[in-house]
Amino acid sequence: MPNPTPEKAPKKHRRIQWLPFLGSMNLAVTLLMMLAIASVIGTVLQQNQAFQDYIIKFGPFWTQVFNSLGLFHVYGAAWFILVLLFLLISTGVCVSRNAPGFLKDMKQYSEGLSLNAYKHQPQSVTYTPENFDSEQAEKLLQQQGYKVRLHERDDGLTVAGMKGRWNRWGYILTHVSIIVICIGGLLDSNLLLKARELTGNLAPETRSVPLGEIPQKSWVGSDNFSFRGTVNVAEGQKSDVLFLPYDRGFLVQKLPFTIDVKDFRIEYYDTGMPKNYASDLVLTAPELEEPIEKTIEVNKPLYYKNYAIYQSSFGDGGSKLDLKVHPLLAREFKPLEMNTSVDQVETINTPVGKYRIEFNDFKLHNIIPASEEEQNETGKKMHNNGPSIVFKVRNDQGKAWEYENFMTPDKQDGRWFFMTGMRTSTAEPFRYLFLPADEGRGLDRFFEYLTLINDPERTQATLNDALPAEGVDERTHQMQLKLMNQLLMLFRRQGFNGITSFVEENVPPEEQKRVRDYYINQTSLALQTLYLSVLEKEETQDLESISEFNKQWFEDAMVVLNSLSNYGPPLYFELENFTHIQSTGLQITKSPGKDVVYFGSTLLIIGVFFLFYLRQKRLWLAFDNHHQTLTIAGKDTKPLPETEKEFNRLVEAIQAQTGIKQ
Amino acid sequence: MTTANDAMLKTERQPWGLRDTIWTALILLGSYFAWDVFGSLMDVYEIGILIGTAIFWIWFGRYWPSIQPFTYATALLSLLAIWTYVQNDNAYSVSETAFFLKFLVSSQSAIMWMSALFVLSTVAYFGGLFGKSESVSKFATFLAWAGSVMGSVGMMVRWNESYLINPDYGHIPVSSLYEVFILFAVMTTLIYLFYEQRMRTRAMGGFVMLIVSASVAFLLWYTFDRGAHEIQPLVPALKSYWMKIHVPANFVGYGAFSIAAMVGIAYLIVAKLQEKNPNSDFVQRMPSLESMDDLMYKTIALGFAWFTIATVLGAMWAAEAWGGYWSWDPKETWALIVWLNYAAWLHIRMSKGWRGKPMAWWAVIGLLITTFAFLGVNMFLSGLHSYGEL
Repeated sequence: MPNPTPEKAPKKHRRIQWLPFLGSMNLAVTLLMMLAIASVIGTVLQQNQAFQDYIIKFGPFWTQVFNSLGLFHVYGAAWFILVLLFLLISTGVCVSRNAPGFLKDMKQYSEGLSLNAYKHQPQSVTYTPENFDSEQAEKLLQQQGYKVRLHERDDGLTVAGMKGRWNRWGYILTHVSIIVICIGGLLDSNLLLKARELTGNLAPETRSVPLGEIPQKSWVGSDNFSFRGTVNVAEGQKSDVLFLPYDRGFLVQKLPFTIDVKDFRIEYYDTGMPKNYASDLVLTAPELEEPIEKTIEVNKPLYYKNYAIYQSSFGDGGSKLDLKVHPLLAREFKPLEMNTSVDQVETINTPVGKYRIEFNDFKLHNIIPASEEEQNETGKKMHNNGPSIVFKVRNDQGKAWEYENFMTPDKQDGRWFFMTGMRTSTAEPFRYLFLPADEGRGLDRFFEYLTLINDPERTQATLNDALPAEGVDERTHQMQLKLMNQLLMLFRRQGFNGITSFVEENVPPEEQKRVRDYYINQTSLALQTLYLSVLEKEETQDLESISEFNKQWFEDAMVVLNSLSNYGPPLYFELENFTHIQSTGLQITKSPGKDVVYFGSTLLIIGVFFLFYLRQKRLWLAFDNHHQTLTIAGKDTKPLPETEKEFNRLVEAIQAQTGIKQ
Repeated sequence: MTTANDAMLKTERQPWGLRDTIWTALILLGSYFAWDVFGSLMDVYEIGILIGTAIFWIWFGRYWPSIQPFTYATALLSLLAIWTYVQNDNAYSVSETAFFLKFLVSSQSAIMWMSALFVLSTVAYFGGLFGKSESVSKFATFLAWAGSVMGSVGMMVRWNESYLINPDYGHIPVSSLYEVFILFAVMTTLIYLFYEQRMRTRAMGGFVMLIVSASVAFLLWYTFDRGAHEIQPLVPALKSYWMKIHVPANFVGYGAFSIAAMVGIAYLIVAKLQEKNPNSDFVQRMPSLESMDDLMYKTIALGFAWFTIATVLGAMWAAEAWGGYWSWDPKETWALIVWLNYAAWLHIRMSKGWRGKPMAWWAVIGLLITTFAFLGVNMFLSGLHSYGEL
């Protein structure tokens, strides 16, 4: 600043105290390390989780402490931004202080120094040459990559050479690039939205409600400068909005175009691993005469203007489900038909209450690692359990049971089972019941049998027919049948455990074992008898010899019946048929800072190579007319161990050219 | 003395010779052949990478002539393997039966050879250092070269084998933790061999090869305990030409940082012994503290430059695959931490002029940070970059 006005002088004086601090290496390195430590915290502590999860993990006290330090959102925390800002200022000050000097230094050949000054350079040799030709010397230096200037002194001639001056640009480029990259990042940040939120123009939506119910305050127009959000679109549907995650909720971003999703596909390897995800998109916009049709894949997005559309995830887009609902307490085998779809809610009235059924998901494939036996048998490493539905059943009080039911039976130990999993908390794994399939690989026999057990009248009649009074009077026989019926009811409600605990509560201790054995015996007899009648009805069974399959089926059915009381609401949903409709998860970004960041990155890489691999070196050949001596002097901006060697080598080369007068 | 200096001047500015012409011709021929046979399977970026690699390799062969015989040996052995497969109708199963494949050049055999050679090389380097035998040290250098050749043959053949198992599976073998460990061992050894020539000392070989042997130990455990050597198809996110440039660039960085740390350890040991007895045999045989300090700087600078490139390439790939060049994903963040750490190291050295012990300690700690970024993130933290979990 030439000629500062007197008023401003004191101010400048004060600034000078600040600048060295801001531009100091100590501050810069401290900030770099702070940034590194903050980043470590950000990766070790899982970011942006639900508050409840943090409380479970750390307890209320530490959760509070961590939260007030912003550790759950490190990269958005005010102090983190502040560190970044200081790093920017520090870098900026550093560059602005050093760059002018460096730029000047790049042009500085120092050819006008005195002979004496050359003799005091870090490397210096003086000798008497036989003949010194400045033109030859110039050539030699140029061959070695030096740029050369000549200077006539009063007492002689100086040949000044310099090379590697771009090293200085390395410094400038690397440091400027950091500023450029940060500015690019800032362009893509949500600072503008934050500002709008502060002025009250914007409020994120935290509920999960239909699009139409989201208030205008949570909408962002297509004039938004930069954004990155996702939207799930079902096949055959379209969208012109995007959801931006924001704080603990989201914002709705209006898009200046509409995306139709024609189709979504997953391709698989023969191992069952997914190979590719692809969506066929059609993009229409008012300014387009022809809509753009493109298939996007992972790693192959669609670019339109300054928007980019990525294949990001996938899910169910409301698959149509045809279900059979089996009331597990029903007395006749007459399942209800239900036609619904994923994301729908249905209600069912049963004698034991009203239930809401929320259909959450449909999966076409359930691929799991194959068991060792199966691997040996088929040579395949993966096993497909086939289609499944996931749904929740909620009672009047709001208590929910979550189920996972498979459509087709699965082979286990050589037998076929329909798997149905249940859990009451998403934190638990599913616990599975294995409903045995009948010979037609269906569930008919199971429900025939179950409904028969459920029906006291049919049970009574069946037992009466099958178990004639032999050796006892009619009254005793009737009492025995009645007992059997009651035991069956108990068994259906609580399984064999129910019978055991009934005995423990009602029978004197010394009698318990005998009574329990008798009751269980009677229950088994009744269950077997009923089973035989089911088999008889199927007319496939020669009652004299029960096949292995049917024996095994009975055992498997017993396991299920015994634990059916823990299955939650008495409903079983059998998936009969489906129409698979998928949805594709698209990520759409508008990122004006991207090219700025890339530009900065390019500067950074070029700068780093200049900085490390170009060495700024100066060399002077100063001839003294008086004494007829030549002084060779050298100086490296950053001396390295090889500096001395390289200088000596050059001196030898020059001396070889000029000769040395002994 | 003068003749030595002349020789040095010569190595710096060698005129173009017959050797370079043959080299260039063969590289061009090989690249053309690759394009001619596989060009239809490549996209425009992959063709770009092929051309870029050819140009870089021609330059590199001139810059560091020793890479020429290395390349020839790798190419010949890889071609032998491919030829043997072709002779057997390209059936992957012949790797267990055909003689050459079974004992030498199927990817598994080659990698086992690499493992053995690297471990032997480590032993030989230390043997030469403590046994004061120049010839044993020279043999150690030979073993290191041979191990590198076998490692890169292993990778080349594995590349071919991935297509033989199933054309759908085919990919360059830098996608799983197993594969990049081979890359790491080869890359680290090659970078070390480069500096071994430049510094004209084999005394640090044992120290550097120690970390290569450690990675070999991991590789063997990973093979025999986890069966990680089996070739798996790529997850959709990795199916991109970016992998071909992002991963190798990263491993120049990792390799160089590892060498810096091992030299740092050597530095600390020598510094300690020098305090006790400056004239001890060991101290005399090791390079000077100054030159080790300088080597630390050079390897960290090299690593930093390539790590910067790799991180930028990674960001560009992330922008294309995940829709954002920076998501504060654990892997990204740890790459930043590594970068910041070495940026601080370089700043302190270049601006403040720190040298010696603290910088050596810092280089060693730097390796711990790098190792966590490389391995720890995959083991302990989840995220987008969860390939090759342990």
